[in-house]
Amino acid sequence: MSNRSDDKLLQEAKKIVSQCDRCGTCLPACPLFEAKNVEASSARGKNVIARALIEGGLEPTPEMLAKVNFCLLCRACVDTCPSKIATDEAMINIRQYLVNKTGAANTKYKAMGSILKSRGMVKLTAKTLALLRTLGLNSVFPHGMVPEEYTRAHFLAAFSGPAALGQKAPPSDVAVTAASKVAYFEGCGMRMMFPEAAAETLEILKTSTKPQVKDNVCCGLPHLAHGLRGEFLELARKNIQIYEDADAVVCDCASCGGTLKHLASYFADDPLWQDRAAAFSRKVMDLTEYLAKVGYTPRQKVETTFTYHDPCHLGRGQGIKKQPRDLLRAAGRFVEMKEADVCCGGAGSFHLDYPDIASTILDRKRANIEKTGAAIVVTGCPGCLIQLAKAAKASGGKFKAMHISQVI
Amino acid sequence: MITEDIKKKIRNIVGAENALDSDLDRFGYSYDASFVPLLPAKKPDLVVRPATTEEVSKIMAVAYEHAIPVTPRGAATGRTGGSIPVQGGISLSLERMMKIIELDVNNMMVWAEAGVRTIDLYNACAAKGLFYPPDPASWKFSTIGGNVAENAGGMRAVKYGVTSNYVMGLEVVLSDGTVLQTGGKAIKNVTGYNLTSLFTGSEGTLGIITKVLFRVIPMPKKRGTLQLMFRTLDDGCTAVHRMLQSGLVPAAAEVMDRFCLEAVAKHRKTQHDPAIGACIVIEIDGDDDEALALQTKRMEAVAKECGVYQFRIAQSQQESDELWAIRRGISSAIASILPNRLGEDISVPRDAFPEVVRRIAAIAEKHKLTIAVYGHAGDGNIHPSILCDLSKPGEEERVHRAVEDLFDVTLSVGGTLSGEHGIGITKRPYIAKALGESGVKTLNAIKMALDPKGILNPGKIW
Repeated sequence: MSNRSDDKLLQEAKKIVSQCDRCGTCLPACPLFEAKNVEASSARGKNVIARALIEGGLEPTPEMLAKVNFCLLCRACVDTCPSKIATDEAMINIRQYLVNKTGAANTKYKAMGSILKSRGMVKLTAKTLALLRTLGLNSVFPHGMVPEEYTRAHFLAAFSGPAALGQKAPPSDVAVTAASKVAYFEGCGMRMMFPEAAAETLEILKTSTKPQVKDNVCCGLPHLAHGLRGEFLELARKNIQIYEDADAVVCDCASCGGTLKHLASYFADDPLWQDRAAAFSRKVMDLTEYLAKVGYTPRQKVETTFTYHDPCHLGRGQGIKKQPRDLLRAAGRFVEMKEADVCCGGAGSFHLDYPDIASTILDRKRANIEKTGAAIVVTGCPGCLIQLAKAAKASGGKFKAMHISQVI
Repeated sequence: MITEDIKKKIRNIVGAENALDSDLDRFGYSYDASFVPLLPAKKPDLVVRPATTEEVSKIMAVAYEHAIPVTPRGAATGRTGGSIPVQGGISLSLERMMKIIELDVNNMMVWAEAGVRTIDLYNACAAKGLFYPPDPASWKFSTIGGNVAENAGGMRAVKYGVTSNYVMGLEVVLSDGTVLQTGGKAIKNVTGYNLTSLFTGSEGTLGIITKVLFRVIPMPKKRGTLQLMFRTLDDGCTAVHRMLQSGLVPAAAEVMDRFCLEAVAKHRKTQHDPAIGACIVIEIDGDDDEALALQTKRMEAVAKECGVYQFRIAQSQQESDELWAIRRGISSAIASILPNRLGEDISVPRDAFPEVVRRIAAIAEKHKLTIAVYGHAGDGNIHPSILCDLSKPGEEERVHRAVEDLFDVTLSVGGTLSGEHGIGITKRPYIAKALGESGVKTLNAIKMALDPKGILNPGKIW
């Protein structure tokens, strides 16, 4: 990449991090700093590293890339910051800059990125994972790379037995206009890890519309987050084209949704794509956001207790907190957990890169889930679901982890 | 420089993972929340993170033997550079010492390790119906070791005093590694010099505070918030003074000048009423609603005598939170106006408040700078914030001269350089002016007695 675009990355990051007066408000907010309380792990620490890099006080090194990679991009710090400094955006810019500059581009991210870039590879991986699951071999893979999937069929068998029969929720009375063309965006995580939940999303959509199923490509967040911006933009252009004729693009993955809603800002200086990207971003909605709009009523109401984990990219990322909770209240009993919006430690591939820290963060999440006494923890992001499935297993069966599509 | 041999000794004490020497880890311990420039970075040679007093003692013994500078650090939220290791050496970070050791409800006292966050201490006490009042603005993320070492203040000082008013005893590791206990749970205690007071506010230059014994008080049962708008800052200050003189003591009385109010209005996209020249937010507390209602009534009467323009009583917790959010949001609101903000922390006799604010306005005009003023009207602690753009030629020099004028004015009315932030590096050049030659000499004598090798937080205070 050219020096000009490197400068631009630094300028973008500078606008953000120069606002930081190092007060420290973000320190307790950062889940990583809670788990590993060394300054460079905190949001302040990383912003100040970025600032020193920009002002010429520190050299770009692979060590620095490792420091800025140690971020969940969960935006907990942004929420608490008096100046609302967007540490996540700064980190993405600095990661890209360091990848360009040090050439240290993370071979593993490149490998992962190229799998996710190819729809064929994603499908193939999905098949392999399904096969491994069928063969019961998933437990031999480390760090929940092949999570156990607790299916809707399991759920109904366990929780909507005879006791629940009389409680079936009334059918949705919302009139659906045939005119609105609703398309589904199937993210790689859903396709590879939780195909059953993805199928449920489609079933739910079918109650109100004839969802279009597209052969979409990856949302590009894994590429953007790890210094592969060129690939991210390429994927974004493809998706924009693929969904040009849809009126709404429904996403059941918080990270995909959050990324797609922000595409416009990455094309701000590209006159060819700027308007198309903005038009696309406006159409994107989370599944629960869409369902709230069409007044969806869950397919059943069960005598069981749910709790809910806010994916960072849905709660803080898209401001969607009420809709999923309302849906869960309509589908059963709902109980709020402590620190529901604190990151689970999944954060894309973070849990693969830093399994120990991720599991420390997850232990706290698991304890909070257990304290609610809920039978099921629900979320809206496959990344979180991988973590929560691990937590469910560690709890020794105290609770199950499910995608929201599977329970509503 | 710390040799590999010495590093090895220290690693043996705290474990390799708690003695960091990579470039970026050292960089992380080179700054605090002050406006001391980030670059050139004042990196320590080694970051050491002990978990026990015993480890601190062993580290100090090594440092003493080899004359290595040691700068203690909590959460690095200080505003004057106190925890910046200006001479390298060891950054001794106490953030792992975070146990509340004993909450003695009978004696209403609590022992806590230095790395306990102030908010955690507050909450642990509150759970037992007890109240730890000191509330520096950073109380949600600062640690009590730093609070004690800087003798932090806060908004409640007017009624409840500052950190030192609650410190009953300390465990301190001296420069050679000796562990010293001061004070204790006895409320009356005149045995020997008051060493507890000596170490409180010593900014890490006399010893490493590892544990603190605080006294706490019963938690007030009810709290309320009032917002008083005045046409002039003089009227507002007079009202607060008259309240205090008549025995009406607010739990906090925070003043904001016109500039702050305009900045807040801009930040929140609202309109500022130009008739309002000052706003005072008051917290009251008491046993029950009746007690609050009575205080409110009497305060309203005093405020009316002083020509209050608007008198508003927060009707709900939400409303009260909103009023305090305005006060807490001031520094961000004004910081967003210009690229740099230099916050000062002068403290003057209470009745000099309006006069000093008038003279600050004159200083701003003289040096062609913008200075926003807010602070604790109840205790005379003023936070003038110089808003500037240090990248403009000549600006830094003008700011520097304005700060000098500011301190001159402060001292001339019998005030002092710092009410609650400490001296650290940023106010160091002015200390002789404030304390006089004999004052500095006395500090020096104490320092020499306790830290003969000059290894404890060197380059600070004077």
